[in-house]
Amino acid sequence: MGTENISSVVPSSLVQFAPLEKLLNLGRANSLWPMTFGLACCAIEMMSAGGPRFDLARFGAEVFRPSPRQSDVMIVAGTVNKKMAPAVKTLWDQMLEPKWVIAMGNCAISGGPFAFKGQYNVVEGVDTILPVDIYIPGCPPRPEALFEGIMELEEKLTGKRRWPRVEAV
Amino acid sequence: MDRAQVQKELEALAAEGKPAPVPEEKVEVEKEEQASEQEETAPEEEQGKDKNKKKGEEEEEKPRENGVLVLDHRARGAHLDAQLNGDQVVAAAEIMRRAGLSVEAVTGVDWLKENKFEVIYDYALYIAGEDLYRVVVRALIDRDNPDIPTISGVFSGANWHERETWDLLGINFTGHPQLTRFLLPEDADFHPLRKDFKP
Amino acid sequence: MSRLAQSQYHETFDINLGPQHPATHGVLRVKLTMDGEYIVKAEPVLGYIHRMHEKMGENRTWAKFLPNPSRMDYLSAMSYNHGHVALVERAAGIEVPERAEYLRVIMVELNRVQSHLLWFGAFLLDLGGFTPLLYAFDDRERILDLLESVTGSRLTYCYFRFGGVYNDLDDEESFKTGTKEFIARLRSRMPMYHNLVTKNIILRKRLEGIGPVSADMCRRYGATGPVLRGSGVQFDIRKNEPYSAYPDFDFDIPVYEEGDSMARYMVRMDEIEQSMRIIEQALDKLPEGPVKAEKVPKMIKPPKNDYYFAVEAARGTFSLRAVSDGTNTPYRLKIRSPTYSNLSLFEEASKGMLLADALAFMGSLDLVIPEIDR
Repeated sequence: MGTENISSVVPSSLVQFAPLEKLLNLGRANSLWPMTFGLACCAIEMMSAGGPRFDLARFGAEVFRPSPRQSDVMIVAGTVNKKMAPAVKTLWDQMLEPKWVIAMGNCAISGGPFAFKGQYNVVEGVDTILPVDIYIPGCPPRPEALFEGIMELEEKLTGKRRWPRVEAV
Repeated sequence: MDRAQVQKELEALAAEGKPAPVPEEKVEVEKEEQASEQEETAPEEEQGKDKNKKKGEEEEEKPRENGVLVLDHRARGAHLDAQLNGDQVVAAAEIMRRAGLSVEAVTGVDWLKENKFEVIYDYALYIAGEDLYRVVVRALIDRDNPDIPTISGVFSGANWHERETWDLLGINFTGHPQLTRFLLPEDADFHPLRKDFKP
Repeated sequence: MSRLAQSQYHETFDINLGPQHPATHGVLRVKLTMDGEYIVKAEPVLGYIHRMHEKMGENRTWAKFLPNPSRMDYLSAMSYNHGHVALVERAAGIEVPERAEYLRVIMVELNRVQSHLLWFGAFLLDLGGFTPLLYAFDDRERILDLLESVTGSRLTYCYFRFGGVYNDLDDEESFKTGTKEFIARLRSRMPMYHNLVTKNIILRKRLEGIGPVSADMCRRYGATGPVLRGSGVQFDIRKNEPYSAYPDFDFDIPVYEEGDSMARYMVRMDEIEQSMRIIEQALDKLPEGPVKAEKVPKMIKPPKNDYYFAVEAARGTFSLRAVSDGTNTPYRLKIRSPTYSNLSLFEEASKGMLLADALAFMGSLDLVIPEIDR
C-alpha cells in the first residue's frame, strides 16, 4: 500500500511523512478502540465477541469506549431508524479523526428485513448517513464475522493482513 | 375475585348503553339477534363458535351489537368479551380495577370500510394460585371523530398504551395527560397503522 | 428523601440520559429533571429503535411474519417465536404433536436460562462489576452451542413452525447428554455465582431496599414477569394459564416479597434452577413421534375473528392479538411486550431516587429496548 492510499484513509494535513504515517497506521490498526454503541440484536453478538470464548482482545480491539471522543471505530450494530439517525450522526461527528465505520448486520447495511415497500421509519442503510468502511453481512453476524470485519479494516489501514485468509470450503 | 360479579356488572353496563345513539343501520340489521345475544351467557360457548364460523363464510358481515359474550378460552384466548359504547370504557375500567384486574394492553383496529375505529382493552387477572381470567372490552367509535375518554386515571399503565395507540392510529384519548409522539419522531405528521396511510 | 421534600426551594436542572448510554442497554433515552443527585422526574422517551413490526404483521402473510418475533426480543427469541406460532395455531385450529411441544419447551427454557445469564452479566456490568459478565458469558456460550446444534442460529431463532418445529433433533442422544452435562455444570457453578455476587456486601448495599415496587403498583401498570414475582405475587402464565406441554412438568414459581431490586435479582437467579428442572424432565419424558402436524395448509386463512395468545417470556407476559378478516394476511397484529409495561412504572417508582440507584433499578427491570419499541 503506497502513500496515496494512506492519504485517502487519513485526512490530509499540509505536510505528510509517509513512513511516519505508516508507522502510526500500524499502531492504529493493532489497537482499534470501538465505541460501545449497541442498537439491537447485533449488539449482543458484539458483546459475545468481547466475551471469554471469542475474546476480541486477541486482536487488540477489546477496549470498548463509552465516549465517542475516545474511540476510533464506530460499529453500527443494529437498525438505525429516523428518530435515531440524528443521534448517530452526532456521535460520528464527535469522534476524533482518524475514524472508521463498520456496518454490522443487514439492518445497518441496507435496512435488512425492515426495508419493505411502504416502510415509514427505518433508514435503509447506514451508508446513507455515514461513510462506511467495512460491511459485515448476517442477521446477526457471528462473532467470527465481526473479527473478519475488523481484520479487513486492519488490512485497509496497513495494507497487510494479520492472518492468512481462510478460504471457504 | 368473583367472576360472575364482573360479568354481571359488565352486562348491566352494556345494557345501560343500549339506548344511547347507536348508528342506525346497526340497530335495524341486528334486531332479532339482539335478543339472543343478550341471553348469551355461560352455557353458550359452542354456540358462539358456530356463529363466528358462519360469520366468516358470509360475505356481508353484520356489525356486532353491544353486549357481553362468554368466549371459549381455548379457541379465542379470552374468557369474557364486552362491547360497550365509547363513553362507557372508564366505567368498565373501574369495574376491572375493583375486581383486581390489570390492564394488559390497549390497542386499536382501523375498520376502514365501516368507517370505524375499534378500541380494544385487554384486562387480565394476575393473582397467585388462581387461573388467569381475561376480559376484553371493546368499543367502536366514529372514524372521522375518533374521541374516546382515557382510562389512564384508573390504570396508570394505560397511559403509555393509549399514547402509543394515538401515535400509531390517531385515536384521540380525551383527558389524556400527555398525548404526544411516542414511538415516532417528534415531528411526524402521520399515523402509520391507519389503513389508508401511504408513506 | 427528606432532601427532596425541601427541594421546592432548590433549583432543578434537566439532563439527558441516552439514547446512547452504556447503562441503558441500547437506545433508551430518559429525560431527567434532577435536584442535585436526586431525581425529581424521569421520563423515558421511546422510539429510537421502532421497527414497524406491527405494520409488517399487516402487510405479509401469516407465515412470512415468522422471522420477526425473534428480532423483537432477541434474548428470549424462542418464547416470542412460540407465542406467535401458538397464536396462529389457535386461530387456524392446528393441533401440535406432543414431541414438538416437548421440543418447544426444552428450547424455550434453554433460551430463558441464556437470557437470565446475559441479564446477570449485563446487570452487574451496570453496577460496575466486569468479572461476572465473563463468567456468565462462558456459560451462555455453551447454551448457544446447544441451541445452534438444533436450530442453526445463535440468537434470532426461527425454529418453530405452525404445527410443530422445523426439524427433529439430528442426534437425540448427543443432544440429551450435552444438555445434561451443561445442566450439571451450571448447577455446580451456581454456588460460585452466589458466593461471588449474591453474598457480596457491595451488591447488597446497592440493591436492598432500592426501587421498591408494590404489588398494587404492578397491577396498575400491568407489570409482569420477575418484576411482579419480586413484588410477592406468585404469578406465571406457565402455571396460571397453562399452554404447550407445561402442565406435564413439576416446577415452582420463585417469589419474593420485598419488591426491591434484590428481590427481582433473586427471582431470576432462582428461575434458572427451575428452568433447568423443566428441561431435565422434558428430556427424560421426550416422547417419540412426529414433530410436525400432518395437515397444515400452505396458505393459512383463519376464520374472521380475533384471537389472543400469551406466553411467559423471560421478561414477563408476551401476548399477541391477531384480528383476522378471513384472508391470508392478518388484518391487525397487536404485539404486547412485557418490558413496555414494566418500564412504564419507572417514572413513578424512580421519584426521589439517587441517579445511581435509579440506574441499578432500571437494570433490575431487565430491559430489551427493541422489544419495547417494536
